[in-house]
Amino acid sequence: MRALRPTLMVCLLLSLGLGGCSVVRPWEREALARSDMAWEPDPLEASLDSHIRFSKEASLSGGTAGGGGCGCN
Amino acid sequence: MSRGNARAARRARQRRRRERRLQRRSGGSQALRALTTSALALPGLAERAAAAGAPVDYRADYRYARYSEDAISRSKVAVGGETERYEIDIHQFRLEAPIGQSFDLGLEVAHETMSGATPWYVTPDPNGGDDPIQVMTEATIDEARTDVLLSGNHYRDESVLNAGLGFSIENDYMAYNGSLGGERSFNEQNTTVSGGIGFSYDLIEPEDTNLFPERPDREDKQSYSLFAGVAQVLGRNTQVQTSLTYQHQRGFLSDPYKRAFVENSPIPDDRPDTRNQFAWLTQLRRHFRKIDGTLHVDYQFFFDDWEMRSHTIELAWYQTLFDRFRLVPSFRYYSQSQADFYAPFYVTARSDGHAASDYRLSPFGAISGGIKAETRFQTWSLLWDVNVSYQRYVSDADYALESVDVENPGLVSYDLISAGLTLHF
Repeated sequence: MRALRPTLMVCLLLSLGLGGCSVVRPWEREALARSDMAWEPDPLEASLDSHIRFSKEASLSGGTAGGGGCGCN
Repeated sequence: MSRGNARAARRARQRRRRERRLQRRSGGSQALRALTTSALALPGLAERAAAAGAPVDYRADYRYARYSEDAISRSKVAVGGETERYEIDIHQFRLEAPIGQSFDLGLEVAHETMSGATPWYVTPDPNGGDDPIQVMTEATIDEARTDVLLSGNHYRDESVLNAGLGFSIENDYMAYNGSLGGERSFNEQNTTVSGGIGFSYDLIEPEDTNLFPERPDREDKQSYSLFAGVAQVLGRNTQVQTSLTYQHQRGFLSDPYKRAFVENSPIPDDRPDTRNQFAWLTQLRRHFRKIDGTLHVDYQFFFDDWEMRSHTIELAWYQTLFDRFRLVPSFRYYSQSQADFYAPFYVTARSDGHAASDYRLSPFGAISGGIKAETRFQTWSLLWDVNVSYQRYVSDADYALESVDVENPGLVSYDLISAGLTLHF
């Protein structure tokens, strides 16, 4: 039970208003494994969009820890 | 069972076997591809809520994109100034390759060429109007940039370790970056935690220093990044991920090609030499089986110690049609406040000496919308994905969440078209 506590806390925090948390088994992951369920389904598109926004706006692009270069006109 | 019924049953069995074969070749491969898609991107957030296995297929991507910034309105530009802005062509190439049972390597190369005029500084309206005037660079600028990133993953039972090394070259700019990250799944792979660190060293050697002696000959900056995230499966059709990213920058953070109009004179752009930025990103993915569509919702809150705040919300709908076509309409809203030292122009100089009139540091909002069409086909044992997309981005002070007193005349809008090809082999 002690080991489950962090998991339950995470579920609670993440699932507020989203219908709760349940364990999904590997054979139930057909939809989760779809390409359109990926966080970034098209990596080149995501990389380009991120670079263009970096050159037009002042915000940091969250979720990664790398990258560099300017190309800021 | 009659002979006709037996034949029909046999045909049905053969059809089901054919479908299963196709599913294994296409759907199965698609599922695997989904598990590995962007696994070779920069070390970052978990690819999905459960740690992915090592890819078994090679994959090559090519993408061409062109974006054109709208010409700046004649009424916003100083008399005789250039109104045409940048046209940018970008070629991207990416290759990912499995190495043995538990490693993969990825190489991403981007090359972009830029041509056009760019905002230089802002002055009050010489005719006494309320709206400031943009002074553009005097000549069309031609530039090129090449960016190379090598990355790799090591897959273990419940975890993935990743690393990346890259560099970016322009005529006057050089950047080196590296990163290390990892993710670990637990709770029967329903929960994945991820984290990483990154470093970038940027060196700038501005051009035309003989014509503009105020430009420095050589400056540099360093960026240190740190992020941590957690992804959670919320059901058979839903997953969510949230992360915090921190970046510390130090060194030359000004723009050597820009000026600010201070006490009736244009002086070099001057910004603080440190910056601490935080981004909180949350992403939701939900698939709707009955209509074969998937909803993407992303929200990011950003703030930094230049007293900038921003909110970004992105929505996309992935609609699959006839199994092999997909239409993806998307929408994005962005709003930022201004940096504390920013002003369109300065009647009196600031006591700390900072001065910047760059539209990127100004308060504004931006709305963008796009549509993308994708299809997949197979020739022999090769699987091809082809896509085309269009995006329109418009920024305006009126779109900002908070009211803006004076709009920066340099705000940019653009059209982006692109076409991409992916080959799995």
